[in-house]
Amino acid sequence: MGAIALVTDSTADIPRAERERLRIGMVPLKVHFGGEEYLDNVDLQPADFYEKLQSFPGLPKSSQPSPADFLAEFERQMADGKEVLSIHLSSALSGTYQSALLAKSMLEDESKVTVIDSKSASMGYGMLVIRAAEMAEQGASMDEIVAEIARIKSSTKLYFLVDTLEYLHKGGRIGRASALFGSLLNIKPILTIDDEGYVNALDKARGQKRAFARIVELLDADFAGKPVDLNVVVTPGKTEMAEELIALLKERFQIRRYMQSEIGPVIGTHAGPGTVGIFMGPAV
Amino acid sequence: MSKRSLNGTEWSAMVLAGAERLASHAERVNELNVFPVPDGDTGTNMNMTMTAGANELRSKPSVEVGRAAEVLAKGLLMGARGNSGVILSQLFRGFSRAVAGQQEIGAPAFAAALQQGVDTAYKSVVKPVEGTILTVAREAAKHGLAASRRTADLVEWMREIVLKASETLARTPDMLPVLKQVGVVDSGGQGLVYIYEGFMEYLEGRTGASDFAAPEPQAAAAASSGAHAAEAAGSAHGSGSAHGFAQAKIKTESIQFPYDMEFFVNRDAVARRTPFPEASFRKTLEKDGDSIILIDAGDIVKVHVHSRRPGDVLNAALLYGELSSIHILNMQDQHRELLEHEQEKPGPTTAKLSEGYEGDSIGVEAATGWPPEAMGKLAAAEAAQASEAVATVAHPLAFEMAPLGIVAVSMGSGNEQLLLSLGVDSVISGGQSMNPSTEDLVQAISSLAAHHIFILPNNSNVQLAAKQAAELADKPVTVIPTTSVPQGMAALLAYREEDPLEVNAERMTGAIEKVATGQITKAVRDTRMDGVDIREGQYIGILNKTIVASNDGLVEAARELLAKMLATGDEVVTILAGEGADSEYTDTLLSWIGNHYPDAEVEVHEGGQPLYPYWFMVESV
Repeated sequence: MGAIALVTDSTADIPRAERERLRIGMVPLKVHFGGEEYLDNVDLQPADFYEKLQSFPGLPKSSQPSPADFLAEFERQMADGKEVLSIHLSSALSGTYQSALLAKSMLEDESKVTVIDSKSASMGYGMLVIRAAEMAEQGASMDEIVAEIARIKSSTKLYFLVDTLEYLHKGGRIGRASALFGSLLNIKPILTIDDEGYVNALDKARGQKRAFARIVELLDADFAGKPVDLNVVVTPGKTEMAEELIALLKERFQIRRYMQSEIGPVIGTHAGPGTVGIFMGPAV
Repeated sequence: MSKRSLNGTEWSAMVLAGAERLASHAERVNELNVFPVPDGDTGTNMNMTMTAGANELRSKPSVEVGRAAEVLAKGLLMGARGNSGVILSQLFRGFSRAVAGQQEIGAPAFAAALQQGVDTAYKSVVKPVEGTILTVAREAAKHGLAASRRTADLVEWMREIVLKASETLARTPDMLPVLKQVGVVDSGGQGLVYIYEGFMEYLEGRTGASDFAAPEPQAAAAASSGAHAAEAAGSAHGSGSAHGFAQAKIKTESIQFPYDMEFFVNRDAVARRTPFPEASFRKTLEKDGDSIILIDAGDIVKVHVHSRRPGDVLNAALLYGELSSIHILNMQDQHRELLEHEQEKPGPTTAKLSEGYEGDSIGVEAATGWPPEAMGKLAAAEAAQASEAVATVAHPLAFEMAPLGIVAVSMGSGNEQLLLSLGVDSVISGGQSMNPSTEDLVQAISSLAAHHIFILPNNSNVQLAAKQAAELADKPVTVIPTTSVPQGMAALLAYREEDPLEVNAERMTGAIEKVATGQITKAVRDTRMDGVDIREGQYIGILNKTIVASNDGLVEAARELLAKMLATGDEVVTILAGEGADSEYTDTLLSWIGNHYPDAEVEVHEGGQPLYPYWFMVESV
């Protein structure tokens, strides 16, 4: 049992079982359907969320946890005498990181909490949190963990496909992919999150098949012939597209560790149903 | 009757007779179009081009041949549409350079000018094809040079020109197999022969020499009312204002509303919530102005007015949206310049102008390259040539000038929407059988607040007009040589905002080859082409440039064509349904594709193009 506790937020999309196994503290964001408020991934599970999304006219809204929410979680973890490493959703996409920083500043001893802006989303940083928790369990120091996840982050490639850019556009999270929005022809943008944490269109393809082929081609440039870890996030209930792509990837790459999880309500609110995210990095 | 030389008035009358003869035979020229698709428009295009030149000539008469030829060339250049029209404009552009500064011309000068026209036209065409208007013009000019050494009589000389041109025309089927196949002579060549015949009719005294017989009384009539002359100048705005002799006789001070203004009010979604109050806006303008033209096109309102208070006009317009392409010119200034110009001896003025004109050595080809300095010089020469002191007020949002603007030519409102959604800024309606003129393209280019313009002609008959527009435009222009709307869409899909323009131009041009274009239309004549027997009224399927299918049934022809286009079966097929494509037909087609090519990804859009029930775009991996 190490001396460092991990805290993250609900948008890391880490499966509950995994979170519980590694005792990762999770502060949920909030999802609002009209007047109703839900805690992301807590009292609103992915499957229920997409069902609600279907019937809800308009778009749900999301909001960051309050600093008080973080403060409570930090204090709970610190009560055991542990240091806290808190890793969060890209500050370019959400105020969650700001909220966590504020909570830290409200502590008597700020030095016990390290807050990191992952500049990523979903399993893109969920996998960093998992790796950090595993290292903490094995007794690694804060510096070692921070250095290691920075290394993993820089060697991981992240691509995602959305059914429609409408959700990213309406939520204002579209960044430089905006040029593609509004096209009447069916264009599949191949999206990524860039080094500054913004959603960015890396390329575009006509039709799903060409989009898949392009993603394989992009990954091939980095990982051909090397052992890799693969994390995939999918929208529950809309997995056909993901399965086709996963089959392609499994056939093409030497995958050591594979994890598949569901895209939670907050990420789903902004990416829309039918989103699939691919995170590939060198095998740890 | 014998004649040894022509002055500007006579030469102009001769040109008008040529234009008239062409106009009365335009239909006949259309019928000679060989391709069995409905693009029988060579006659229409040449006629519209020639008419634009003739109108310019009428509005700026000159007793000097050099000046008259320059005016004609300018009018032709701006009015040029279709490939034959552009070539025609180049023939006279070269001609005008050759006779610059000359008061009168005889047969030797005429012959040399025809030859220079031919040289210019050949240079402007990327791949000159023999058996076309080019060949007819060349052979006639060559013969003209020889004939001018034998005779000084213009009537006799012109007879030789016509004879040689007709003779060459008759031989065009031997030079161009497609003509022989269908059994016709070249349409553009025929058009040129009509023009030359018109010249001869005038020289032989067989035409009434129309409205050029007495330029003086006409000018006097126009000058009798200053307001009227100003009105005429206003209505001709954009295609070169009317002035010249008539205006020389009115007083500068009599121009009541001196500022000639033209601009657009952009009506964005927010502004459109309140309708544009045309009547009350007109009233506002009338307080200090006249010659008001308001065109409300929904998302854009074009405003033209002659006003005393230009600032008030702009402020009033600002209430209804953002202003763009603002042109303001002081007509009193312009008039004073005109008077000075008329007082000068014609010799030096003409020499100076032609020097500017000669100074540009760029051919049409060069215009497809990157902003050569020559482009600016050309624009300056053009401005001087038009003797139009247009004061272009800097765009109010100059700091927001986009790095790139895209102009595309297309038919059908659905296709227009598709193109706009793919990043096109301005769609010009046109294409098969309705080619936009060079001027239409130039105006679209200048109306965009962008540093550089890409043009997607989307039709092979618009290529030359696009290149000509690129040459005349006030900003650097690159023509992406797309010959169909699907090619245009493929080019747009290849565009990447983050890359430099050069890289994008290259990538977009490269994308043209990666897409197959299928077109379904009705044959307009019986013929046999590309090994396919075709009867008039049948549906034919054209793959890129080749006819690969013909059938009495629309759906059957479409199937035959698609079967040729789908090689691996997993392509992306985009169907652009045009006029004549019922949803029932489209559904039949869709289920056929689904059954035979289950791996294909298909999308259907209402393109709305006339003449072509279907356009297909097939993209492979």
